[in-house]
Amino acid sequence: MSLPEANVYDPQADAFEVQRGPDVGGAASFYRAFGETLRGLKTTMGRLIEGPVTIQYPEEKTAVYPRFRGRHKLHKFEDSDLEKCVGCSLCAAACPADCIRVVATDNDPANPTSAGERYAAVYEINMARCIFCGYCEMACPFDAITLGHDYELSDYNRSDLIFTKEMLLAEPIERTPLRLEGE
Amino acid sequence: MTPETTHLVIDALPAGYSSKPAGEPDRAAIVFTIDGAEVTAPEGLMLVDAAKYGGVEIPVFCYEPKLGAPVGACRMCLVEIEGIPKLQTACSTPVRDGMSVVTKSPRVIEAQNSVVEFILANHPLDCPVCDKGGECPLQDISYGWGRGKSRFTEPKRHFEKPVALSPSIAIDRERCILCYRCVRFSQEVSEDYQLVLLERGADAHVGTFDGTEYIAPFSGNIIELCPVGALTSRAYRFQARPWDIEQGGSVCAMCPGQCNVTYTVRDEKVMRVLQRDNHAVDDGWLCDRGRFAYQAWESEARITQPLVRQGDKLLPARWDYALDVAASALKKAGARSAALAGGGTTNEEGWLLRRLLIEGLGSRNIDSRRGGKLSADVARTLTEPDVTLSIPDVEWADAILVLATELVDEMPILDLRVRKAVNHRGAKLAVATARPSSLDSKAQITARFAPKAVDAFAQALLRSISGEDLGDLPTRAGADGEEIAAIAELLKGAERPAILWGEKVLYYAGGAAPAMTVANIVDKLGVKNTAGAGHLQIPVQANGRGLREIGFLPNLGPALTEEGDGKSSDEIAAALGDQINALILMGVDPMVDYPNGAEWDDALAKAGTVISFSTWLDGTAERHADVIFPLEVGPEKEGTLTHPDGRLQRLRQTVERAGEVNAGWWAIAQLAERVGLDLGVKVVHQITAQIADGVPIYAGITPEEIGGTGVRWQERAAAGNRPAPSRTTFDLPEPQAAAQPNGSLRLGTFRSLWGGGDVEHAATLAPLVSRTRVELSPADGERLGVNTGDEVTLNTESGEVTAIVALRDSIPTGSAFLLDSRDDGVRRAVAGSPALVEVVK
Ligand code: SF4
Ligand code: SF4
Ligand code: SF4
Ligand code: SF4
Ligand code: FES
Repeated sequence: MSLPEANVYDPQADAFEVQRGPDVGGAASFYRAFGETLRGLKTTMGRLIEGPVTIQYPEEKTAVYPRFRGRHKLHKFEDSDLEKCVGCSLCAAACPADCIRVVATDNDPANPTSAGERYAAVYEINMARCIFCGYCEMACPFDAITLGHDYELSDYNRSDLIFTKEMLLAEPIERTPLRLEGE
Repeated sequence: MTPETTHLVIDALPAGYSSKPAGEPDRAAIVFTIDGAEVTAPEGLMLVDAAKYGGVEIPVFCYEPKLGAPVGACRMCLVEIEGIPKLQTACSTPVRDGMSVVTKSPRVIEAQNSVVEFILANHPLDCPVCDKGGECPLQDISYGWGRGKSRFTEPKRHFEKPVALSPSIAIDRERCILCYRCVRFSQEVSEDYQLVLLERGADAHVGTFDGTEYIAPFSGNIIELCPVGALTSRAYRFQARPWDIEQGGSVCAMCPGQCNVTYTVRDEKVMRVLQRDNHAVDDGWLCDRGRFAYQAWESEARITQPLVRQGDKLLPARWDYALDVAASALKKAGARSAALAGGGTTNEEGWLLRRLLIEGLGSRNIDSRRGGKLSADVARTLTEPDVTLSIPDVEWADAILVLATELVDEMPILDLRVRKAVNHRGAKLAVATARPSSLDSKAQITARFAPKAVDAFAQALLRSISGEDLGDLPTRAGADGEEIAAIAELLKGAERPAILWGEKVLYYAGGAAPAMTVANIVDKLGVKNTAGAGHLQIPVQANGRGLREIGFLPNLGPALTEEGDGKSSDEIAAALGDQINALILMGVDPMVDYPNGAEWDDALAKAGTVISFSTWLDGTAERHADVIFPLEVGPEKEGTLTHPDGRLQRLRQTVERAGEVNAGWWAIAQLAERVGLDLGVKVVHQITAQIADGVPIYAGITPEEIGGTGVRWQERAAAGNRPAPSRTTFDLPEPQAAAQPNGSLRLGTFRSLWGGGDVEHAATLAPLVSRTRVELSPADGERLGVNTGDEVTLNTESGEVTAIVALRDSIPTGSAFLLDSRDDGVRRAVAGSPALVEVVK
């Protein structure tokens, strides 16, 4: 059986013309030998008069971009104070690091915790494993979880890095300056 | 069912079909074209199923072959068939030779998109709060065959969010897509006729006709049938998501039905129980007890550590100590010890316990039955593969006699199979029981006999089949001679008659007479050489057959060989405290499980040391046990069981044992070690290997061979190792005549599916446990001046008990049926099997 026409590989079809620079010698060679070097030196000299760039962390902090992904926050509705999270576990399903654990339960209709039929009785994120990919935020159908700006998450104890629902619901201490528009 | 089963690719034979039942017709192969490919498939299949042979998936919502004829309600399965101008529903169009089908043309795709859009028009799409989310066929099909966006901006229909359809099931009517599956299950499979579709058009919704709760033995199946999250389990509600869980296959050991199940596990806890379709066992259904009783396993009331009695108190103890106490008592008792096994005791536990008693203590006093000993010949005759049925054989039998058993309470899943045989396989059914049966309405012939007169009835039937004169047997049985003759005719006229009878009768009718009569009937019917004809004995204990076949009997050894002459359970009761000083109870509570429970209560009071393996602290355990070892529950167990039809099945451990619970076999091995016997087992499969070595009919069996769907020993070569009975017909003793009421009533007893620790401690089942009730005929009710709901006192020669009256039209006048439970009063009143009862207002 012969192969159909389209399947025959013709290397010629992939060939393309290589763009080459000017020939060696003359002004072009001179420019290449000194011009580029001087251009590099200009940058070096420029830095010399700029002064130190080291930031005195932790007294001083780098500002992060508005879309920086740091410590998570669980949200509540501002008017009703009900939790937005309904404990659907979609964030846990999306999480590539498998570090979210949700155990849902029935909402008491008389005294609801969330705005849905169910709410998260347990909501934990293991910050030691989180890779701050933001998939949980994308997966959440209720915008209940978002990633904030705080990146100072180290602790003395691994188990303290498991953030509980209460910790995630609480307003985080904003320790991180935000970059201004265009900064 | 679950999404996996909705989209399953069928093999040539359904799971568990090791061989085709004799009655099932062969299917010819046909060739048809689907999406341009030529495909060979068995004739008579619906296009949806035939398409799977070509690897083509056609989406369905309402189609479910287990529910009987397709209804074509949802239109999801539209396909184009050459020669037919309009699109056709693949779920209700049988495949024909030479047919040409297209499932991917623009016309079909447009139709599929539109059906999805139409179904979603009124669907709330609350997937994030919906329990079905993640395993929802509607989600899958919307993704796979939907348009991806909706043009519907009008308000959707609204109902009150989930309402309770029953204590176990919640219904969210907004999510219902009106596929009729649940209604068809209720109307056509379990035939409880409770679910209906109420109202019309956009108001249509599922409910019960009068708004009462949907209480039925098989109601839970509709949860798995529902293709959306409209029907959900209230116990499982919001417990886990499909990606939070693991599934583990095992077998339910709560009744002889031994349905195959899947345990859903999260955080080492069983969260729900699902069916695991095995055509040869359960046909993919479960009863509500099997489905919901798992809740009890987490209950506080469960025993999860050894207890040792000190003075009159049971105190928690360490395993070592409890084992020492038990072992020293056993050692002291030596040959004067005994053991009873029952319930879900596995073959492995039974085997080790048997060895402990025989080899370690030199005692042959072991029993897994009640009501005396069966002779080797009777036991073997009833086990002969030629005349014993498999479950699929029952489905394909052409005449079925249900004799002295209420299937829905004793082996619920078989009730559905009998209904299937009648509804879909054209079987004719006869029901012969004392108490009216739930199968009566399906039966061509129903015969009633007086409570406890089964012996006379069976002998009359035998004579009728042999064409002999019945004499006064019908009167003695309290039955109608013509009904008996009609049943005889039915059985004789059938090609493949099937007799389903309850082993229970042996305990009430005294001795083995009814068993011998069944053997004679089977012999007279001459079906020895007819495949798919014979009888099926329904044991009282979940693993009754396995325990019998490994030799957990006082007079019979492995494979029913003659061996030893120990005491039967009744004899053990009589000898307690006198010739028997130590008693081991493995998963059995004589005070509750045995008909003569009150006598056991008295006997146990005199017993020396009682060592009980128990789950609940009640009955014998609470009152008489000196050492209690916690018993494993279903998903904690590993081992094998033998189904009443001879199928060896495997229990697989799926969760960690609770608290300090240890394996039953391990505890027995430890006891053996302490009395100086090395059983040589470190893991449970070593015991299976010992059984494969020691029980000729199970020779060479391995857990791998048993696998997920089990294997019938009759279908293995080792079946040839069985000892043949020296005779297959028996001389029958003169049957007892039914008691004459003389103003009082004949007393019958029955057990309900809704009883026992598993049910009482399961939150959503507990409401179903009935108070002590007595069923009377309306005529007797009128005579006594009592009505349904009245409280009456029942006086028997053994005692008295108060009960609530339930008048039932179908109860024969002159009989009263008392719900037998573990209630002390009831146990006292029925002690000694009194024939008559006086009902006092
Ligand atoms: S940011 Fe990524 S890794 Fe971290 S919790 Fe969310 S999904 Fe998981
Ligand atoms: S945070 Fe969002 S995605 Fe996660 S459980 Fe709650 S509602 Fe679902
Ligand atoms: S039934 Fe399925 S599609 Fe409908 S809300 Fe539930 S998960 Fe979503
Ligand atoms: S409740 Fe479920 S099974 Fe019943 S008709 Fe509605 S969608 Fe179908
Ligand atoms: S699956 Fe064919 S109409 Fe519903």
